[in-house]
Amino acid sequence: MDILTYLQGASTQFGPSGHEQPIAQWLKARFEPLCDAVTIDPLFNVLATLKPNTATARGGRAPKIILCAHMDEIALMVTEVLKDGALRMGNVGGVDPRILPAAVVTVHATGEGDTAVPLTGVIGAKAPHLLTDADRTQNYKREDLYIDLGLPVETVKKRVRVGDLVTLTGETIPLLNERAAGKTMDDRACIAVMLEAAERLARMKHAAEIVFAATTQEEVGCRGAKVAAHTVNPDMAIIMDVSHAPIPASKPDTTIPLDAPAIGYGPLLQFKLVDRIRQTAVKNGIRLNAEQLESRTGTDTDTVQIAREGIPSILVDLPLKYMHTTVELLDMNALRECGRLVALFAAEIDEGWDESLWI
Amino acid sequence: MDLKTLCEAQGVSGREEHIRRMVWDACAAKLGEDALALDGLGSVIATRKGSDPGKPRVMLAAHMDEVGLLVVSATEDGLLRFRALGGVDSRVLVSKRVRVGYDTPEKPALAGVIGAMAIHQQSPEDRKHVLPIEQLFIDIGAKDKAEAERMAPAGTLVTFDTPYTPFGEGLVYAKALDDRVGVWNLLNLLDAPYAGELVFAFTSQEEVGLRGATSAGYRVQPDIAVVLETTAANDLGEIPEALQVCRVGQGVCVSFMDTASLADSQLYRTMLALGKEKAIPHQVKQFVSGGNDAGALQRAGAGSRTVVLSVPCRNIHSPTSVCALRDMAAQESLTRAFLENL
Repeated sequence: MDILTYLQGASTQFGPSGHEQPIAQWLKARFEPLCDAVTIDPLFNVLATLKPNTATARGGRAPKIILCAHMDEIALMVTEVLKDGALRMGNVGGVDPRILPAAVVTVHATGEGDTAVPLTGVIGAKAPHLLTDADRTQNYKREDLYIDLGLPVETVKKRVRVGDLVTLTGETIPLLNERAAGKTMDDRACIAVMLEAAERLARMKHAAEIVFAATTQEEVGCRGAKVAAHTVNPDMAIIMDVSHAPIPASKPDTTIPLDAPAIGYGPLLQFKLVDRIRQTAVKNGIRLNAEQLESRTGTDTDTVQIAREGIPSILVDLPLKYMHTTVELLDMNALRECGRLVALFAAEIDEGWDESLWI
Repeated sequence: MDLKTLCEAQGVSGREEHIRRMVWDACAAKLGEDALALDGLGSVIATRKGSDPGKPRVMLAAHMDEVGLLVVSATEDGLLRFRALGGVDSRVLVSKRVRVGYDTPEKPALAGVIGAMAIHQQSPEDRKHVLPIEQLFIDIGAKDKAEAERMAPAGTLVTFDTPYTPFGEGLVYAKALDDRVGVWNLLNLLDAPYAGELVFAFTSQEEVGLRGATSAGYRVQPDIAVVLETTAANDLGEIPEALQVCRVGQGVCVSFMDTASLADSQLYRTMLALGKEKAIPHQVKQFVSGGNDAGALQRAGAGSRTVVLSVPCRNIHSPTSVCALRDMAAQESLTRAFLENL
């Protein structure tokens, strides 16, 4: 798979949390050539199944693994149409107001019918000539920012409704050293990891049934994954999400290096499986860093782990700089290595994998 | 020459060579090479001799340069430190794309991004404070300091990376509308009817202190200088009326006064009267802010009478400045009407 082409395509698909139909359809088409069956559930989770292609060691039931990465994106919504036609906005997920001044956005306008019409907007920023002392020290607050649609107020009132969704823009661009930057790398880059893994697993012997779950509503509380885990009813879960790579302002022990995958460790993450995937990495010459997660992980792990009767889970991190901006930056080699790692690990899982898992 | 090409070309103050080449070629095609000159600061001076020596010598001026960024060093982990050339509010830089270096056939510009700490890792204090330029970095994907310094050595110029894009009803967003709009209109006015001597000055280094206009004014010594500019609008988002400067889409903006010059009162009144008589959309700049080449031209050598015609611009000096096409047309029309009636 050409990762850059995938990332460029994925980042332009519409899919704010709770409104993932377009990205779900797009992803379904990506999984279909690689998997045996692909379905979309009521929360728009895409569930792509790869059946076992070899018998289990003792001829018993095949273990079932769910792999999860989320498809939803952070976005904004219109909260008010001002007297001059500018729009105030609220958050859908954690948008940092620092990224907004002078940003280009798309307002999905439904004022003239339920089919949203995309309108280009620019978020206003004060001229340097007009800055007050307060402007020089204080960040914009989201409530002070506005979207300029370049339309007369009457037209805006006709075309835009409060509640209309607003997506950020930021096409994916290649940088030096196989790095790339763009929006929605969090977490559509990890769906690329799943596609990489699916491609590899199709060529490998695997006794387990593997379900790739591209999940929804992660940015508002990992809600899609909860339902996906229930439906799939897996024996084990591998969650893939992005984590912070270092930048100059980073504090100690809060980041993982950009150029290799990392494995999360902490109470939520099944310790034997963490050890096991580390061994997989060592055996196959994959550099694997580690990230301590002393409590909730802030990823789909948090809901998948406690689905049904409890699912032993691990979290594979893809490092990323500038998370929740429109220039989220990653290393495409690290992404490939993530895919190789989870494919090799999933292929190892056979009947009896859970013996002495807990005692 | 279209405005899209002019806006997307790179020309930070002091390094206007790409714009200079475009302007030179466009002027040479219309007026001939003999009419053109470069002064000591790289301004392009195109002179159209008049048939009527009784008419005043008029200069039309617009600046070629744009605000941008300058690479000053690299960090150990390969990020670029930078400073602003011209006035840039650091709040518009986070999460934006830039082009590092100038695009040439031999060596294309590098893609770069300006990131910042993820919202998840910010303290409540971090969220309040503006990140100054010293705490922002350009990321080109370099692995270490050596690679960063090799790819983008200190002194490398950086421009915003914004495609010129029409949106809304007759608006565009782009980088560098300040003042490629004026440059574009000057090129549109090369054939404007006027029997006196008419000098087109495409000036350099406006954004770092009106420097090109200072030498261009000295050389040309015009009787009248009309500056074609853009100006901050500050008209949206329920800004109190007293703080609004002018309104995008309401016509060309005639300045009574800004921080660099006071308009010649007769020229100012003439512009307003002509706007009214010819029904050219126009408005008065109602908030004293900004300054432009008129400040230098008015006081160059023995002095000139100056007036400024500005296109209102939202988000000026940001990656996505916004202007209305009809205001640009009004700027051209009013300048043309002024020459016809002089």
